Amino acid sequence: MATSASPQQPGGAVVAERRGIPAASFVEDVQIYLNQLGLDVNSTLAFLQERLQQYKVVEMKLLAQQRDLQAKIPDIEKCLDVVATLQAKKGTGEALLTDFEASEGIYSRARVEDIDSVCLWLGANVMLEYSCEEATSLLRKNLENAKASLEVLIADLQFLRDQVTITQVTIARVYNWDVHQRRVRQALASQDS
Amino acid sequence: MQQAGGGSETEVTWEDQQNINKFGRLNNRYHELEDEIRIAKEANENFEDASNELILTDEEVVRFQIGEVFAHVPKDEVEMRIEQMTETTTKHLEKLKDEKDAVVAQMADLKKVLYAKFKDSINLEED
Repeated sequence: MATSASPQQPGGAVVAERRGIPAASFVEDVQIYLNQLGLDVNSTLAFLQERLQQYKVVEMKLLAQQRDLQAKIPDIEKCLDVVATLQAKKGTGEALLTDFEASEGIYSRARVEDIDSVCLWLGANVMLEYSCEEATSLLRKNLENAKASLEVLIADLQFLRDQVTITQVTIARVYNWDVHQRRVRQALASQDS
Repeated sequence: MQQAGGGSETEVTWEDQQNINKFGRLNNRYHELEDEIRIAKEANENFEDASNELILTDEEVVRFQIGEVFAHVPKDEVEMRIEQMTETTTKHLEKLKDEKDAVVAQMADLKKVLYAKFKDSINLEED
């Protein structure tokens, strides 16, 4: 089974893999690469194509995770907004009137008085009561975590896309090398005859 | 963006590969920015529509959406909130546009470098 060497690069960070994603080895010389692999051109191309497919699968997974996070962040921000509004109302002593959706298409009016605590949905059918301040700090922490996770995810995606590009270029170069070799062989053959 | 080859013999160095990778990243970022700019513009349009509706209405209390509920908010406060949201979105939009200009400039530079080396062997245009 062919193994890919880690990409060599003079003076720069070399990453052999990132969070489970193997790096694509950069090919300095196609002939040497083929000798290293010990495969003929078609098998090499097949191997590289398979690698490409695997990268695509991981990319789909990461993109789905990114979409989830990108939906979660505005949700948390909306919650922070609501808690802030409730806290602001607490100061004035008035009740807050809101219209909310009781069921699909059916709205009802609520009168919120004496706002001391809020309940936060934590997931897994669990809801906890917090004071406004605790709720705000919990929500802010969740928001920070979500944003940090998103940043890491985006960096992962960039790394992955780089590996895809490297693999695509390698495929093109191996193919071109093969075409070139055939031309050379044909030229030699027609010279001899 | 594709890298197409026609049996050429130009060697690809690690530096070339890094340039190609960078172009790919910039291209992706460009499309993301276009989407984000479109969303921000739509948001601003919605704020403006809301603002106009506010001027036309004669009610003193407006149902303003906060989170998933519609809170009863006095008209003045709603006006202020919409103004704030418009300002935030406009600033965000400016930042996005600046980033987009920077990305486009960098892509143009990379295109020059890559086309100079690879000429017809590389295709950096949108399909």
